[in-house]
Parts: sequence; C-alpha cells; structure tokens
Amino acid sequence: MSKDPPELASPPLTARSILLQTGYLTAVAAVGVATGISWLMFPFFELANLIMTYLLAIVVIAARYGRGPSVLASVASVAAFDFFFVPPYLTFAVADTQYPLTFAVMLIVGLVISGLTARIRMQAEAGEHREERTAALYAMSRELAQTGAVEDLVTIAARHIGEVFEAEVTASLANIDGQLQIPRREGGLPIEQDEVTLSRWALEHRQPAGLGTDRLASARTVHLPLLGHRGSLGVVSVRPRRRDIFKMPGSLRQLETFINQTALAVERARLADEAQEARVRAETERLRNSLLTSVSHDLRTPLATITGAATTILESGSRLDQRTQQELLESVRDEADRLNRLVQDLLEMTRLESGALQLRRDWHPLEEVVGAALGRLAKSLGTRRVTVSIPPDLPLVAIDDVLIEQVFLNLLDNAIKYTPPDSAIRIIVSATDRSVTAEVADYGPGLPKGQEARVFEKFYRAASDGRRGAGLGLAICRGVVLAHGGRISAHNLPEGGVAFLFTLPLTDPPPAPLPADA
Amino acid sequence: MPDPVVVLIEDEPQIRRFLRATLTGQGYRLFEAPTGADGLVEVGSRQPDVVIVDLGLPDVDGIDVIRRLREWTAVPIIVLSARGQERDKVTALDAGADDYLSKPFGAGELLARIRVALRHAAGASHEGDESAFKVGELHVDLLRRQVALRSTEVRLTPTEYKLLTILIRHAGKVLTHQQLLREVWGPAHTDQAHYVRIYMAHLRHKLEAEPARPRYLLTEPGVGYRLAVD
Repeated sequence: MSKDPPELASPPLTARSILLQTGYLTAVAAVGVATGISWLMFPFFELANLIMTYLLAIVVIAARYGRGPSVLASVASVAAFDFFFVPPYLTFAVADTQYPLTFAVMLIVGLVISGLTARIRMQAEAGEHREERTAALYAMSRELAQTGAVEDLVTIAARHIGEVFEAEVTASLANIDGQLQIPRREGGLPIEQDEVTLSRWALEHRQPAGLGTDRLASARTVHLPLLGHRGSLGVVSVRPRRRDIFKMPGSLRQLETFINQTALAVERARLADEAQEARVRAETERLRNSLLTSVSHDLRTPLATITGAATTILESGSRLDQRTQQELLESVRDEADRLNRLVQDLLEMTRLESGALQLRRDWHPLEEVVGAALGRLAKSLGTRRVTVSIPPDLPLVAIDDVLIEQVFLNLLDNAIKYTPPDSAIRIIVSATDRSVTAEVADYGPGLPKGQEARVFEKFYRAASDGRRGAGLGLAICRGVVLAHGGRISAHNLPEGGVAFLFTLPLTDPPPAPLPADA
Repeated sequence: MPDPVVVLIEDEPQIRRFLRATLTGQGYRLFEAPTGADGLVEVGSRQPDVVIVDLGLPDVDGIDVIRRLREWTAVPIIVLSARGQERDKVTALDAGADDYLSKPFGAGELLARIRVALRHAAGASHEGDESAFKVGELHVDLLRRQVALRSTEVRLTPTEYKLLTILIRHAGKVLTHQQLLREVWGPAHTDQAHYVRIYMAHLRHKLEAEPARPRYLLTEPGVGYRLAVD
C-alpha cells in the first residue's frame, strides 16, 4: 500500500514494449521463413499456393503478437512476394498488370486476418481477465462474509481491490455525523488535500469522482462511494499504478462491483452492530429494573423487622418477658448485619461495574487469605467441618488480598447458605507453572441443572429459593476474578454438591528474595 | 483506681449516643467532641486514658487529628472507619493510631479494643516487666527465649522469634506491615511487605494446629496482623 507508485508503474510498461518489439522482429522473421519455404516450393507450385504460405505466417503473427506486428507482416509479405516471385524477379517492378490486383487482395486478406485474429485474442484476454476478477470478487465476498467488524471489512476490501486492480487503495468510513474518517497511513505518502476534497464530494453526491469518471477525470485517483440503503457509508479511493487500467472496457464497472460488495458487507456489519447495541441497552434496562425491584425489597425486609422489633420493645417493653425481649433484640442485630452485607455487596458491585476499582496487588500466600476469610466467618461456620488443602510450596500470588478474601468469603457464605448446617466444606488450592486454582466445594444439593454459568449473573438466585441474599455475591466473585485476569466457573460434583473454581494467572516476575535469616 | 477517661471525637449524634450508653454503662467517664478542633481541646483538658477518633470528621481529616495528638501525647488512639477503607486505616495506624474498628461494630468488639489499649498504656510505664506470654496452648518465655506449644518446645529461627516477640509486645493490637518491617528488618525494607507474609506463614506452620485456620496469628487483609490474646 505504501510503496511508491511510479517505480511499480514502470515494469509492466517495459515488459509490454519489449513484447511489442519482439513481435515486430518476429513478424519480419516469419515473413523471411515464409519466403524461404516459398522459395523451395516455387519450382513445383503455382504462385497462388505461395501466397497461402504468407497468409499462414500472418495468422501466426496476429494470433501471437496482435495487430501491429501482424500489419507489418501483411505489408512485408506483399513486398517479399513481389520481390522474389513476381517477374521480373528480385525487383519490386511488376511486368504483368494483373499482379497489383493480386497484391491488393493479398494485403486486404492479410489485414482482415490481422484484425480478426487480434480481436479474438483481445476478447479471449478480456474473458480471462473477467474470469480472474470474478474469482477475486468471489474470494473477497467470502472473506467479507466471515468478518464482523466494520474496520476489518474495509481493510479486507482494500487489500483485495488493491491486488486485483494493481492499485493503492484507501477505504475511509463515514462516522455517524456523515463525516469521512480518513485513516492515517503508516509511513506512506499523505493523501493530498484535493484528493480528500474529491472523496468528500463522492461521499456527498453518492457518485464516483476522479480518474476515469465524469468528475475531474485527470485526477490520479478514483473515489467511489460505498452506497447503503440509508446513505453513503464511506468512500474507497483507488489509485492504480497504471493510469490506463480503466481504459480496458468494463474495468470501472468491475471495480464498482467490488465496491458494491464491500458496501453490502459494511452495511450488514453496521446493522448487526446496531442490533447488538439495542440488545445491550434492553438488557441494561432489564437489569436496572431488576436491581430496583430487588434492592428495594431486600432493603425493606430487614428494615421492617428492625422497626417492628424496636417499636415493640419501646411500646410494650415492660410487659414482655425477658426471653421475648432478647429474641427481638437478636433479630434487630441479625437484620442489621444482613442489611450491612447487602449495602457492602451493592457498593462492591457498583465499584466493580463503574471501573472505579483499582487493584492493589502485592505478593500474598493464598493460605493467609483463606485463613482470614475462615476467621471472619467463624461464627456462621459454627461446628461445620472445613478441610483446607494447600500445597506447602505454593508460590506467592500477586493479588489484591482484600478482594480475593471477598471472593473466598462470598463462596464460603454461599456454601453455608445452601447446605445443611452440619455438612462439610472443602477448600483445595493447586498450582501449575502458570496459574493457581482454588476450589471451594460443598456437599449440598448442587446447582439446578444447566444453571452452572448463570449463577454468576447479577441478581441470580436459585429458583424457588426462599433464602436470603441479593444474588450479588457470585457476580462480585466473577468481577474480582476477571479483574485479576483469571477465570471462575461452577460445576456440580458427581457425588453431590457443587464446586466453585477460580484460576489466577502467575504471570508476574517473582518478588524480591528474602534476606538471609541470620 | 479511678474510672478510666475516654474522649470520643465523632460527629454522628446517633453513634455518640450508642457509645455513651455502652461506655458509661461499663464504668468509663466519657467526654464527647463533635469536631476535630473540639476534640483536640478536650484531649488537652481531660487528660484521657483512651481517645476514640472517627476518620470522617466534618472539619478536619481524622488522620490530621492523630498526627496533632501524637506531637505531644502517647495516649492510646482507636480510630473508627468504614469497611472497604483499608488504606485509610493503614494510614491512621502508621500515623500513630493504636487500633481501629470497622463500622458497623458491636459493643463487645469496642470494649475489647479499649481493654487492650488500656493494658498496653499501663504496661508502657513499666516496660520489660512481662517475662512470659501465654495464649491458648502457646507459651513464650521471653527471658529464656523459649517457645512451647502444648508443652513441646518449638524451634524458631532468629527472624521468626523476633517477629513473634514484636507481636507479643503489641498483643491484641493490630500491627501494619510497615510497623513489622521496620522493627524486624529495619527502615530500609519497608516496601517489601511480602517478607512479613512469608515469615508469618512460617510461624503459623510452626505454631498453629491448622495454619489455614489460625487461632493465634490473625490476618486483617489490607491492614496487617494481630496476635490473639484470648
């Protein structure tokens, strides 16, 4: 794309002129050969038969080298025939008056053959060319069909058009406001200002402009608009290395076919993008509604309990027995805890989603993070058996310990909520050279079938689930793990229960070594 | 011994009300200040045994209150802060605060922190008296430099032992990575927090029955470590 066009333009021209020169020389040589053969035939055949030899030579030259050399061959044949075989021999003088007629007919036949043969040859060539371009068009369409992004589409189209038409091609897309976005070209020659003006004209008027068109045909570049149903999508600027390429019949039309294919593909991709955006908007809207419903319900329930319990104690405190008062106060405390967790989750989720989350990574032994989470949950774990298996040589991991502790907290909290109070929980950590995987598994009822991926969605709660929680815990886990460049998944275990697994990459260089323990 | 005096610097009236009920009920004499400026005056005039400072004050930054107090007094300072603001807690602790509580907190937690603070303040006047430390099944004889778990001696490396003695000196109080690094490795290594984590892991493997569920050497993610006292 960025090569200098004049340098590239010269070789084909030279090749062509060499071919033409060879043609003329070969034409002369062929006439010489025909003369030689005629010379051998001369004692035994009529003159008319010798003429046939010459015509054969003309046909051969016309078929091989085209019009110019074959015209030369025709003229040279008449001259040679006259010189060698028409008396008086070895002069151009003619004794008999019937010969000029013979020469005239011979010349005409020669020229007609030249013309016809040359035309057949050109048609064959054009056909071959069309064939090639049809194949190229097919190749481009196929590649376009496999591509989704608009930017990639125009790059692919520019490459194909450039190859087929031996041209430098720049594809510029129009933005939403209809402004042309001229791509910056890497290290190449800049697009001249008048070419830019011309391409804008093509975009606005929805017509080709520049080289080979009605508008400024003297330009070096032709600009073709990418026409969609709702206006111009962009402009493809084609600067052929040979200016005469569009003189070939149908060339510009073929180029337009390529452009139309590109326009179709770009429009398809744009529509697909818009449809996707609309889907995302609808999904966001749905989530927002579900957030409001869920949050208002989840906030009001504990508040209702707290208000109810507090007012009961205030208004009839003295009439309540000690045990009832104690129960009411406990429910105030528990509901406040629940409210606190919910607010915490909402804040965490908002932080994750707004992109305001900044990881404060440092080197941590995972064992310590697991230990902190288990310590914090000591009360809700109660007498449950928790087995922890962490290899003693596990490397330090570069993590934000507060956030990864939150992941363990949420996974453990989930296990506590969804399994019977006496069932066990196990935590298994393992490592490879490149990653560390932590698994938190329980022996509960497991996830509903087919819901293994959905549990990480915001506000997802297992169906017919009367248990508490806003359905944010696992979504937060996913957000935190993704922010660390890791993966998280859930799957039911064959022996019952569910295992949550998350993997963190070990990509960073290891921390500074410890000083000697003297 | 007279009732201990507590100065509470907190702008939220509801929190003040709850703390008043808790602390006066437990025999503390409480003086309240709704702003940082008032708080500094109160501390100067009341000579408290413990100061409780909320980090989110309306007039000045709670951290500045701590720095101003530390210019002239060694009184134990406990900061109140919200969970999720671990960085602020570390800043407050490194600025001279003795401990922290995350809102919301229960009365039990608060009283435990105050008790630890008072004990350390009392111990500071006759430093070095403690010749032994005992929690659960862990016994440390500081004179003979012997560590025993369930009456079995545990061998520690010099660095591990040093780390453990610093935790014992501040038992029950949280210590930041910076504080531990400075005391064990010296001021040149304060940005190598993983030294502390590696040695804490070593200590846990030698002193804890279940290193992944520690009973003595507790981690406070994002803040530091605390040696359990009960």
